[in-house]
Formats: sequence, structure tokens, C-alpha cells
Amino acid sequence: MRLTTCGIDVGSSAVKVVVLDDDGDGGAELRATHLERIRRRDPRVVLAAALRAALATAKVEESDLAYVASTGDGDVAEGVRTGHFYGMTCHARGALFLEPRARSVLDVGALWARAIVIDPRARVLGSRMTSQCAAGTGQFIENIARYLGVRLDEVGALSMTATRPEPVSGICAVLAETDVINMVSRGISTAEILRGIHESVAIRLAKLLRAAKGGTPVVVTGGLAQNPGLMATLRERLDEGGGHTEVLTHPLSVHAGAIGAALWGAFRRRKLAAGLGGDGRREAAAVAAAV
Amino acid sequence: MIKKEPSMDAQKDLLAGYFARLGRAKDEGRPVVYTFVPGNLVELMAAFDVAPVYPEVNALQSAMRQRSSGFIREAERGGHSEDVCSYVKCDLGMLAKGNVGPTGDTIPPPDLLLLSFTGCFTFMKWFELLREQYDCEVAMLHVPYVGDGVVTAAMRAYVVEQLQREVIPKLEKVTGKRLDLDKLRAQLARSRQAEEDLAWVFKSARHRPSPIDAYFGGVYYIGPIFTSFRGSEDACRYYAMLRGEVEERLAAGLGPITPEGSLGDEKFRLVVEGPPNWTSFRDFWKIFYDEGAVCVASTYTQVGGTYERGFRHDPANPLESLADYCLSCYTNLPLPQRSRILADMVKEYEADGFVIHSVKSCNSFSAGQLHMLREVERLTGVPGGFIESDLVDARYYGQANIKNRIESYLQMLHARRTGGSVPPPPRPERVHLEVVP
Repeated sequence: MRLTTCGIDVGSSAVKVVVLDDDGDGGAELRATHLERIRRRDPRVVLAAALRAALATAKVEESDLAYVASTGDGDVAEGVRTGHFYGMTCHARGALFLEPRARSVLDVGALWARAIVIDPRARVLGSRMTSQCAAGTGQFIENIARYLGVRLDEVGALSMTATRPEPVSGICAVLAETDVINMVSRGISTAEILRGIHESVAIRLAKLLRAAKGGTPVVVTGGLAQNPGLMATLRERLDEGGGHTEVLTHPLSVHAGAIGAALWGAFRRRKLAAGLGGDGRREAAAVAAAV
Repeated sequence: MIKKEPSMDAQKDLLAGYFARLGRAKDEGRPVVYTFVPGNLVELMAAFDVAPVYPEVNALQSAMRQRSSGFIREAERGGHSEDVCSYVKCDLGMLAKGNVGPTGDTIPPPDLLLLSFTGCFTFMKWFELLREQYDCEVAMLHVPYVGDGVVTAAMRAYVVEQLQREVIPKLEKVTGKRLDLDKLRAQLARSRQAEEDLAWVFKSARHRPSPIDAYFGGVYYIGPIFTSFRGSEDACRYYAMLRGEVEERLAAGLGPITPEGSLGDEKFRLVVEGPPNWTSFRDFWKIFYDEGAVCVASTYTQVGGTYERGFRHDPANPLESLADYCLSCYTNLPLPQRSRILADMVKEYEADGFVIHSVKSCNSFSAGQLHMLREVERLTGVPGGFIESDLVDARYYGQANIKNRIESYLQMLHARRTGGSVPPPPRPERVHLEVVP
């Protein structure tokens, strides 16, 4: 029996919502995806708007959903969700859905990045996460783009036109920003600065993946997966010193967490229906109320 | 409303009474001795009836009452760098603002600065700064580093000799009294009694569910015994009461008490290395109990005595016993032994994982912790988590970041545990991705 479920991924800069039909045997059909940037608004308001938009695209009512699964900052989805799922397992599941060959996942969000090693069924075997510094994150690139007056969606392509990247600190975002100010005053071109920034992020991500002992292919999820400049630099950095790591992205990479949540929601819904589990009466009651 | 057990109120009353008595010490003619928690000689001080002051306890108590930031800013205005230990700056800032302690009672100036040096170089520099402020006696007990992890007879003799030649004469000088060895023995006997009960409480975490949280709850449990109450009747009563409560929780199959009541579902059992953050202690704790994570053992609760590992004060050999206490101080042990202690705890308490909380201020704890992480992972096969903040400087505590990292770590433990209970892998021929944002 097909189940229509909804996945909600509340990130630090955007809320992503997907609606999909899951057939319970590895088949699924995506019916809607929606991304709503938070832009200093109340995330609950943003979530409600994103949910409305996704349901409208999918042409379903909220009452038609067998399960509403949240991930990320799940507190925001309180009152809307049926249950909450861990971000790492959702990104793992979503990445495998987008690319069945995936053996590791680089989830690069606005405030941190995470390398996840998975098996062929998306079980998480290990992980590593960036430390407190903003170096290596989406917010860092966004800040630099703002300093340089470049639109975020132009950053990647522009960086690829550079021939001589200017090195910046790959350890500390504050030092890197100081480097950028210095470069601007020295007349370094915007493209070269951006290439240097992408190098610094890629070096950090490559270290993270190596530390986690991530296998190939690696699927990049999160907002930065759409940045072709970063992907190109990451491929170069991962292949340094021999060996080849296949780096894959997907147009829906930014929705991987929400897709994974929706798939987990369908799985949980079936388990609850079969009386095999679920880990709380409250969740079961919520499902009963939702169905 | 915060849920409490009677022992928690008793502990709070003990502490409030301590600060109140401290405020009266000069009026009552009791000399005041400043000293530090690791390797403290409280039984010896009690035998002389002096009033002990623990500057790092003042700092953490100030932090829990949200007063440390102002003290730290005051110390930094006086020229102390951001890199200086925040305990030190909190204390110096408090001193600069009139030395009013965390409960509002004025901390009296010292008659003696008694430094029991157990590896923290900062403690030595801290007392050098206090020596500049106060015209008082200073005694230093040099406790040798236990580099091989074994306390030798020569080390013990070296410490005992300093007690006899340096520490006791200084205490006799500031109090005008001779050491009453029988009084010291009686103190040590009571210490031993309380230590038995405390060790039993910590060992109770071997049960499932654990009736205690040995880190967040544990810091309350160690308060009296790590400071001025060890060897007192009050401490014996408190630990007997605590043990009774834990026995009841155990019999009822209850999980640990948290600020929001008993933890109902023990999902993760963790061992924790490093001191907690004090400025956001409750928020820090909440990250763990919200996820059903219980700390079943910790190393921080051993800085004032390794009772879980068997140490007991011995009234039959008072000075040797004090020497052994100082020598076996957790931060006086080498990294390989600290790693083995952590690994043993993971096994003994059947922990799912271990978390290292690295604090910026404390080199004694934090130096080498990344190495320890890898070593404990190697020894146990269990992955470790690593988070960073500080003791009492709120600027270095990032709730969102720590929450994110702890949740990610627990996700990994959860994923490793769930085994085959995962959705089926995708069948590409039946996956349709036409919808484009």
C-alpha cells in the first residue's frame, strides 16, 4: 500500500518540505518539494508557509498524510509533526534515495558540515563534524559573497573562472575574512578571491571526509551541493595524493534531509500499523489521530 | 518548577551554611586558609579548626548564579588576558569588587595560602597573584607527577616530609595550636565513612536504568566531600541520606533525577571526561536528558578523590593517607592512565559511548584530550564525541553548537545500534524524481 508522507527539514537558514508517495518496497514518487528561506522570520511561520506550498503542489490535504516527519531543529515543527527523526539518518536515507550507489554523505549546511559513512542500506557506520568555527560552512561563503557584492547563486560559477586562486585560512573563518579584506585592498579579482574561499572550504570538507574514513561515491547534500565551484574544488582536493573519490550531487540535494525524513516517516508508520514498534504511545496516538 | 530530592536541599543548606560561617570566621577568631580542591588537605585543616576557602568553588558558584561574567570583565579590565583561566579571572574580579561571595557573604582574607600543587601550574600563578594582594603566610606542598601511573614509596615519603616540615608548621603558626593527631584520625575515619557511601552511589550507575546521573547529578553529590565537609558529621549524614535515596530509586526502578523530574527512558549510557560548563549548567544538562542520555560515569567527579576506583582515607596512617590522596588526584595522572580509566569506565558501566567536554580554561584537563579520544576509541571500539566550551566564561559556551554536536553524536550511536531496522534500499527503477523545486 502506498503511503503519502511529508518530510520537514528545519535548517538554520531555510525550511525544506517534501511530500512523497512511498510504496514500502524501495519505490517512491516525489510529489512536491518546497524550500523557504527563513530570512530572520519566525521559523514556525516559515514552516507553515512551506508546508502550505508543498501540500498545494502535491494536491493533498494535511489530513491525507500518513505521517509528518521532522528533522533538524524539530522543536519548530512541534504541533505539526507526527514524529521526529535524527538529521544524520535522514540525510543518509535521502542521499541514498537520490543516488543508490552512495557510500558516504557530506552534509554541508549553513552553520556546520558533517561527513557520514553509510552502508548500502544507508545505515550510519560513522561520522565526523566540523568544530565550532564557521570555516567550511555555507554561512561563511554567504558572508564572503555579501562582502564582495556577489549574488550567492553566482559565487560558484564565478570562482571557476579564476586561474590563480588566492589562498585564505582554512582553519578560521575570522582569519579568512581578514584575508579577504586584505585581498580586496590589494586589488585581487573577485573570482580569484572566491576561488580561494572555495579552496579553503573544500580543504576542510576533504579533511572531514578522510577523518570519517568515508568511501566513494560521496553524495553532497545541503545547500552548498548546488555550488559548482565548490564541487569542482572538492573533487580536486579529494583526489590529491592519488586515488579517486567520486563526488556526486543532485538537483534535489538540498532536500535530502526532508526526503529522508519522509521515507523514515513511511517506514515508522508501517511499523506502528504492524504493531512492531515505534517508541512512544504519544507518537502512536498522533498517528492514529492523523490517519 | 525544578524537581528536587531531600538530599539536594540538604546539600544546598550545607553550602549556604558554609558561606555563612565563612563570613563569621574572623569574628569567631578562626584563621582562614585558601586552598584548591584537587589534593586538598581538609581533614588536616579541620584538625586545626581553620576555615577553608576554595577559590575555584567560589568561581563556579558565582557562575551558576550568573555572576561570573562581570567578575571576568573586571579582571580583564585589570589587564588579564582572555586566555587566562576563567576561574582565576572570576576570583580576581570578585576580589576587586569587594570579595563578596556567591551567596552574598563577604569572603574573609586569608591567613594562609595553602597550595597543594597537583599538576595545575595555573594554581601556582593564581596564588602568586593572591600573595601580592594579601600579606599572609604561604605554604606549598609539591605533589610529584605520577608519570608512570604508580604511586611509589619515595613519592609518598616526599609528600609526608613536606607535610611535616612545611604544611603542619605553617598551620601551627597561623593557629597557635599544635597538631592533635587524634583529632586528625577522627576526621579521616569520618571521611572514610562518607567515601564508602559516595562510592556506593556512583557504583549504582552500573544498574539499568541507572538511578543516578554520575556527571550532572554527580557534581552535586561531590560538592560536600570535595570541599570543606569531608571528615565532618554533616558529610556523613548527607552521604547516608543520599545513599538511602538512591537505594529507593534503585528499588523502584527509577532513572536519575533531572530538573524536570525522573528520567523515564534511558536511551543512551555515556561516560563523560572533563568538567562541566557552569554558566549554562542547566541548559547543558538538558541537551542530554532531552535525548534520554544518562551519564553513568565521569572523570570530573574524581578530581577531589578517586573513591570509585577504591581510594579511602586511612585513619591508621594519617599523613601517608593524605599523601596518597594528593598523589592519586585525577589530573595528576598521565594521559595513558587517564585513557585507561575512561576505557575501564566504558566497559564497567556498559556505556554506549563517551563524550569529552574540553574546556578552554583548564589545561590540566584539556591538554591531550584529542589523543585520549583516539586512545579510548582504540581500547573500547566505541566512538567518542568531542565538545568544547569553558568553565565560567559564558562567552565560550554556544548552546546551539553543543546541542548540535551532542545530538549528532547520539544519532550515530543510535544508528549503530538499530542494526537491521532500517527502511529498504531504493529501487532506482521505481523511484521517480520529476518534481523539481
